Amino acid sequence: MSLNSFKRALWVYHLNTGSCNGCDIEILAALTPRYDLERFGIVLVGSPRHADVLLVTGPVTRQMAPRLKRVYEQTPDPKVVIAIGSCGLEGGVFYESYNLVGPIDQIIPVDVYVPGCPPRPEAIIEAVVKAWVKLEKAAEQKVT
Amino acid sequence: MASLAFWNPIACIIAFVVLVAIIYLFRSRGQKKYKKGTAQTQIFLSGEKPPAAEQRHIRAHNIYWGFFQALKRYYDPTIKAHTGIINDYIIWFITLVAVTAVILFIVWLT
Repeated sequence: MSLNSFKRALWVYHLNTGSCNGCDIEILAALTPRYDLERFGIVLVGSPRHADVLLVTGPVTRQMAPRLKRVYEQTPDPKVVIAIGSCGLEGGVFYESYNLVGPIDQIIPVDVYVPGCPPRPEAIIEAVVKAWVKLEKAAEQKVT
Repeated sequence: MASLAFWNPIACIIAFVVLVAIIYLFRSRGQKKYKKGTAQTQIFLSGEKPPAAEQRHIRAHNIYWGFFQALKRYYDPTIKAHTGIINDYIIWFITLVAVTAVILFIVWLT
């Protein structure tokens, strides 16, 4: 599929909802020179209001749940959510912990799942490309 | 210098129109898809609930935080010196007058 309809650089907001930072380090690895996602115009931004994609890591602690929901609501449409890491998918090593209200898809709708503890940068890049294709389809259908 | 003092209202109007065009160009390139009346138009405070407009007070003192922090070694002793007791200020005054008098006396001798 050619990417034509979504004509902007893809801006990504990263939110940690209680991760051990393993996934966050892999996200950074995807951005730094070895993988260099930024050459495709994929940039981490400091506010969800500027973002097209939410990268969410962590199993969602009780404290983070309302923040996660608010960040999702503040992201303009069309938007795509990527859940990174086993914790965000099903709790991982924190499964059934008393302080968790996750996984992520219990709080907000998730579009792309990336399993792994932590997932490799290649997997994260593939997820971002899938998210981009989804946004492309949304742009074609003019979903707002 | 008379040649530098140029005034032409047409030039000012043209400059204003060009500036407005540039601002409009930048504005038109911005995000248009924010839904009004939803969280998308609220300010972002790292996921925290934004306080009501009348409670968003950032005092001017906060702006100078780095300035005060950088000059802390100067401010701390000077703030301590300001006790608010008139006797202390008079002692400072007498001390300074005495030191000045000594310096002037030495200068007069030489």
